[in-house]
Amino acid sequence: MSELWRRIHYLIYRRRLDAELDADMQFHREMAARAGRSNFGNTLRMREQAREAWGWTWLDNFITDCDYAVRALRKSPGFTLAAVGTLTLGIGAVTAVFSVVNAVLLKPLEFPDPGRLVVVRETEPKIFGPGVQEPVSYRHYLRLKVESKTLEDAAIFQDSAVSVSPNGDRPEIVGGVTSSPNLLRVLGVQPFMGRDFVDGDAEGSTNGTAEVAILSYDGWKDLTGGDPKAIGKKVWLSGGPVTVIGVLPREVKLPQIAWGDKITGSQGIGSGEIMVLMPFAPNDWDLKADTGNFNYKMIARLKPGVAMAQANAELNTLQQAYVKSAHLPIQVGAVVTPLAQDVTKGISSALWMMLAAVCGVQLIGCVNLANLQLARAVSAERETAVRAALGAGRGRLLQARLAESVVLAVAGGAGGVALAYGGMRGLLALAPANVPRLNQVHMSWTVLLFAAALTIAAAVGFGIVPALKNMRVRPETALRANTMRAANTRESRRTRSMLVAGQVTCTVVLLLVTALVLRSFSRLLGEKLGFDASHLTMVVVELYAPQYAGKLKNVQAVKLRFADRALEALRDLPGVQRVALTSTVPLTGENWVDDLIRPDHPVPEGQRPPINVRWINPEYITTMQVPLVSGRNITGEDRENPYVVVISERTAREGFGDENPLGKKIELDLPGVEKSPLATIVGVVADDRINGLKDTASMLYAPYWLYTPWTLSFMARSAQPADTLMPEMRGAIWGVDPQVAIPVLKPMDEQLSDSVATEQFQTLILGCFGAAALLLALVGIYGVLAYSVSMRTQEFGIRMALGSARGALMGLVLKQAAVPVFIGTAAGLAASFAAMRWVRSLLYQTSVLDPVAIGGSLLLLLGASLLAALMPARRAARIDPALAIRNE
Amino acid sequence: MANRSRDGMPPGALPMLILGILQSGSLHGYAMAQRIHVLSSEVLAVEEGLLYPTLQKMLLKGWVTAEWGISETNRKVRFYRLTPQGRAQLKAELAGYDRVTQAIQDVLRTA
Repeated sequence: MSELWRRIHYLIYRRRLDAELDADMQFHREMAARAGRSNFGNTLRMREQAREAWGWTWLDNFITDCDYAVRALRKSPGFTLAAVGTLTLGIGAVTAVFSVVNAVLLKPLEFPDPGRLVVVRETEPKIFGPGVQEPVSYRHYLRLKVESKTLEDAAIFQDSAVSVSPNGDRPEIVGGVTSSPNLLRVLGVQPFMGRDFVDGDAEGSTNGTAEVAILSYDGWKDLTGGDPKAIGKKVWLSGGPVTVIGVLPREVKLPQIAWGDKITGSQGIGSGEIMVLMPFAPNDWDLKADTGNFNYKMIARLKPGVAMAQANAELNTLQQAYVKSAHLPIQVGAVVTPLAQDVTKGISSALWMMLAAVCGVQLIGCVNLANLQLARAVSAERETAVRAALGAGRGRLLQARLAESVVLAVAGGAGGVALAYGGMRGLLALAPANVPRLNQVHMSWTVLLFAAALTIAAAVGFGIVPALKNMRVRPETALRANTMRAANTRESRRTRSMLVAGQVTCTVVLLLVTALVLRSFSRLLGEKLGFDASHLTMVVVELYAPQYAGKLKNVQAVKLRFADRALEALRDLPGVQRVALTSTVPLTGENWVDDLIRPDHPVPEGQRPPINVRWINPEYITTMQVPLVSGRNITGEDRENPYVVVISERTAREGFGDENPLGKKIELDLPGVEKSPLATIVGVVADDRINGLKDTASMLYAPYWLYTPWTLSFMARSAQPADTLMPEMRGAIWGVDPQVAIPVLKPMDEQLSDSVATEQFQTLILGCFGAAALLLALVGIYGVLAYSVSMRTQEFGIRMALGSARGALMGLVLKQAAVPVFIGTAAGLAASFAAMRWVRSLLYQTSVLDPVAIGGSLLLLLGASLLAALMPARRAARIDPALAIRNE
Repeated sequence: MANRSRDGMPPGALPMLILGILQSGSLHGYAMAQRIHVLSSEVLAVEEGLLYPTLQKMLLKGWVTAEWGISETNRKVRFYRLTPQGRAQLKAELAGYDRVTQAIQDVLRTA
């Protein structure tokens, strides 16, 4: 039994144990009295001393102090309400943001030894651009896996959405993964039911039609209704029956990592919870291609004790050695990233920024409270002086003064946790869908502990300055002095000014960051799309059904037939003017990037300009309203002589320079066709931002009759509202073939706003925090000035009686405000300068020194400060000298 | 503490004395005070105000435990008993005490 345990035991049973001690002492006294002695000391004091041995006296004192503080606070409900309200909001907001940061960024991934899991990507400076990471090629993966001595094992996988349906009709699209059979072993997890993949499982599975599948826990619940005997049963995936061989445990969530820096790939289809895992079988070209086909996500497990840099160096050396020995025309490298870091790549800086911003707001709120407490502490000075005079120690006095802050903070903390619970839900509702691990955001012990720590920090933070100041007052001064004069000593005024300056510092930083992010967002929204997104409704169709299976000989003809019939059906809908077809969902990033190959102008591999290939129908250009710059559009008559393409201006610039591209031939890489046919460029259209608002792309538009993709995006231009049109479009598609899946159906406007969801979220949240900071700072400046004016009423009265002008008095008050505001602004600018390193990554084409953002936020702050200072200043000027002097 | 000089108790000696007299069996508080007084030929007096805080500290350290018993006057009262830790502590304190007294004597003899 340790000493600590005995202390706690005493605390729990103290009532009984104290009674026993009392009985002992009582007995002692009785016996002593019998022996004829009767000089006992102070029994109460003796008992106290005996109890002190257990070391719990501070707790007793603390409870007494808190009890006293509660009674004192009840007497000033206005202050209490303001303080608890500020704290509730502050702690609630910080805790809510922290709960997201904790789940998304801090909590380790739920795999054994997650620190050893890494993502491997390839680089090729000339093809992808310097430093750009892209997915790996299958051949390179196989080689690295065998040759590497730093990797224990490595797996590759691809996101491959699958369609699910009970009987084959009207299927839904869910998230799926096609992986090398060892993916689960690399991650270190096992199915809780059934078995893992083995090497033979992938036989006969091409183009996403696997014969066996492992279900994730959600998939098991969803697709089999949580059937305990699901192993060996069939589920209908992509229109065919697939045998379930395993089910993953609930806590295992497969990591969703990006393909690379530029390629997003999933196009927003089936990007939700992963439900199905299928075994991967390499295609012919996977086994051959050494200079292209960078198509796979690669996750590896480092050997124990291997550092990230070590693995990075080794893989790069292996890649370079291979480039040399195989005489490759390209320069591939490798980049190893910790998996945990990779998962949160796109969002981590925005989340940290949010947490920093909300902490700043909380800090400003605390400063306001400290100022309020300072004012209260002045009236408590007399009381403290009396206590000190009666012999209370400094520590004991400090504790007594802090108790009030602690009571307030605990009340605020409790309210904050409740608020955070609601705030968390709000954040989850607002957050863009691409934030990983959002489903793991909840009130965990970590979050509660954080809230508790925050509460304590707040209590000490806003309580300690007033409490310490209170200590410094000498009892004789405090007992003698007039409260008002004591409150307005030069020293206490300086303390309050310093607090305001600190507040302004925080506010300047927050306002600046907010202004920059706002500028960046408005610049992003202001970009010209290059196509007309209004009155455009999109339906995305996935041809995942047996009749479109990749192994069929005539599959291209079948797909083309579907596309033609669907286009016709959509065109026939009432009010539809034009219908476009394209192979990539607009505004979802790069998807299909090839090299531009000109037979008349050969360029070595690796130096050819990249082009975004889109398979379109002739109406695409006119429906999207992309202006034709020269030449002509693809037309229906081209079917007779089908090898025609249209390029964008950027492609013309990058691939042809000053030459006229019209009539030139290029190689067209047709999937599944050995020899790339030559196609003639018949037209050049203007650049647009079809991949995303952030950049134009070099495009190559080829007719869909040459190659019809499995994922078809139809866009209908119609005067009809989208709400009426959407069900009609769905009906039209399923009228053509009820077995195709429709993963996306929405107006293009919505697609546009979804594509900037992360930026919008970031702007919205920072905007809220910036506004809150400004408001709190205003209250702070106003509060301090108003208090000071009310304390100096008499002084102002005298000044006025002696002939001071009202304007001069106003100036006096304004000057008092100006000093901390200017000092704070200067400090804030300096602090912002240091913070800009982190802000830069959040900005789109906006300099961190953007004059409008800096000027605007400074003007806003100074204007608001002036406003906050003017009210007390006017009050000072309106003081009636006669009344003020009489009123002691 | 008050009356330190009058009761003749050197500071820090009380726990050692209590441990010592408890060696022969458990005792209640008053009996301890009595025994120390008598055994010291009435040189040492144990103040109540010192005895009970010391006993609480010893309970906390785990040197003694308390259990209910019946006093010679037929009252229910707590008896304090030495624990193995207490015995070990006594041994350590005695060794330290012997060394110090020996050292003091050595100094005084040669001085």
